[in-house]
Amino acid sequence: MFPTPIQSRPQPAQIAYKTLLPVALILWLLPLIAVAAFSIRPEGDFVSGNYWGIPTSFDLIPNYSKVFFESDMPRYLLNSVLITVPTVIGAVALSAMTGFALGIYRFKGNLLIFFMFIAGNFVPFQILMVPVRDLTVDAGLYDTKTGLVLFHIAFQTGFCTLFMRNFIRALPYPLIEAARVEGVAEWRIFWYVVLPLMKPALAALSVLIFTFIWNDYFWAVVLTQGPDSQPVTAGITAFNSQFRAAYHLMSAGSIVAALPPVLMFFLMQRHFIAGLTLGAVK
Amino acid sequence: MKTLTAALAATTMLSGAAFADGHQLSGELRIISDMSNPAPRAVMEGLVEDFGELHPDLDIELTVVDREAWKTQIRNALTANAPDLVNWYAANRMRPYVDAGLFMDVSDLWAEPEFEALASTKGAMTIDDAQWGVPYTYYQWGVYYREDIFDELGLEEPETWEQELANCQAILDSGRKCYTIGTKFLWTAGGWFDYINARTNGYDFHMELARGEVPWTDERVRQTFSNWRELIDMGAYIDDHQNYSWQEALPFMVNGEATSYLMGNFAVAAMRDGGLSDEQLDFYQFPIIAPDVERAEDAPTDTFHIPANASNPEAAKEFLRYVTSAEVQTRINAGDALGQLPVNAGSSVDDDEFLQQGFQMLSNDAPGGIMQFFDRDLDAEMASIGMEGLQEFMVFPDNLEDILARLEDARQRIYE
Repeated sequence: MFPTPIQSRPQPAQIAYKTLLPVALILWLLPLIAVAAFSIRPEGDFVSGNYWGIPTSFDLIPNYSKVFFESDMPRYLLNSVLITVPTVIGAVALSAMTGFALGIYRFKGNLLIFFMFIAGNFVPFQILMVPVRDLTVDAGLYDTKTGLVLFHIAFQTGFCTLFMRNFIRALPYPLIEAARVEGVAEWRIFWYVVLPLMKPALAALSVLIFTFIWNDYFWAVVLTQGPDSQPVTAGITAFNSQFRAAYHLMSAGSIVAALPPVLMFFLMQRHFIAGLTLGAVK
Repeated sequence: MKTLTAALAATTMLSGAAFADGHQLSGELRIISDMSNPAPRAVMEGLVEDFGELHPDLDIELTVVDREAWKTQIRNALTANAPDLVNWYAANRMRPYVDAGLFMDVSDLWAEPEFEALASTKGAMTIDDAQWGVPYTYYQWGVYYREDIFDELGLEEPETWEQELANCQAILDSGRKCYTIGTKFLWTAGGWFDYINARTNGYDFHMELARGEVPWTDERVRQTFSNWRELIDMGAYIDDHQNYSWQEALPFMVNGEATSYLMGNFAVAAMRDGGLSDEQLDFYQFPIIAPDVERAEDAPTDTFHIPANASNPEAAKEFLRYVTSAEVQTRINAGDALGQLPVNAGSSVDDDEFLQQGFQMLSNDAPGGIMQFFDRDLDAEMASIGMEGLQEFMVFPDNLEDILARLEDARQRIYE
């Protein structure tokens, strides 16, 4: 059933594993390594075709200080935070409630509503590009952070509801019945009984949605323009000047933009893994 | 009778007010600029500041938008809540907005004597016999080459096509390529077509073709391609150029694997960053192909326009006068500002080898006219189909018949 642990495999297999693992790892990480290496090169290296050799100078500090002090990068980062955090709160709060309703109450059409939430996930979101853009223009939300947040909440709630509903379904139902027998109001059951039990799911979902939204590029490009509202993923291209692409600054900017989700992952690693394996252990 | 006098009084009052405005501008002046990169942005902000000092009662509001984003935003901006001034490009690029009545006719400005100094771009600003904006900067195109390699091989700057071909053969014999180019994003091939076509058939024919008045299957167009093919058949261009952007093609020249680059003046800054000194680098005008054809040059021009719905056109026009004056154009195009060429012939040019040569060339050696570049002179859709065809031709020259038939189809569809 389970694969034999490496330690108890024969010697040659262990050696092969230990040599191939770093190779596979480097291969896997090559694009990231390239971006990291590009971010400390001077601009001249790209003009003279020195992409992979020794950098002619080590420009870590000039490149990164340009990113932070001579560009709109801090503004874009702030936009990303202002878009991602409300979306996470909104989507998780809404889906906790819908999940509670769909998971606890038996009513006609329960399954139908649930399927509608799921069905949203099966629509390729690129199809929605033009209608959503028109909708936000008509609503006066085009090129605003609010517009992007509202759309993300609406779209993420589908997936979150699926997640939450299944999690709540898996909670021991007698807990809720016991509370009802005690005469506890329904909203108090949600707040004092179900919500505390959902903490692992809430944490896992928050981390997941945070990375989804932070890394979103498509909707950022479709629904926003310029440093007033664009998140960092879309703002990175602002390093390109009229004629030239500044590969070194874009690389440095990408590294900076990628840090928050990475940090989030390491800080919340426990919840992340818990969230992904929650269903599996049951 | 009473109403008539009232109306008369009102008109005189109005004209009096207008007259006063001419001296003392007031109200709000809203500018949307696409000069979003650091140096151009500083130029734009400096312009607003200085203009504001000249007209203290004027309340100037400047919005700088990303240059790329502006290409899609402009239509929105011109229709809803239009500002008083916008940045755009000359020639066919402004046609959609002129045809839609979104740009204001500024022919009256061009009739003023001061505007004679801008004659080199007047043609590019004219649609339907009227002018629709003013230029503030342009830059030359031409052949940038490795002077040190030319010296090593004993080559001179060519003036005719025969010399160009002979030079190229010598370069090829030394184990190098003549030209670097990256056609991944297509437009670089447009530069080559512009020059070979304008040198073979002249500016007027080139513009007729750009306006869709001549079929692509015309014998003269074929002549252009057959001239171009001489270079392609020699193996003059670097291999696999369709995989490189213009920037990614730079290392070939910087490392001496190719000797020349037909490019705009913006390439110089990149080449200097790559370690080429001014002793290694030089510039020549694209050589003459047909001896009786007057030389025309590519010089993409950036412009200011007044939207038709502007609320303060009086102040906007004053700004256009200001930005086209010789002194202002000298300042904003200096090496530490835009680093490009002033359009005003009375301006002085930064003390830079390439800017000096470019200014000299555009002001004196381009009697044929100033082209705006393939993708600005042609209709946008035609240009994109056209450039695909040019790239294909550079890689598979045998497909020419096919390509021309396809372009001709597109022309008939687009310009009908």
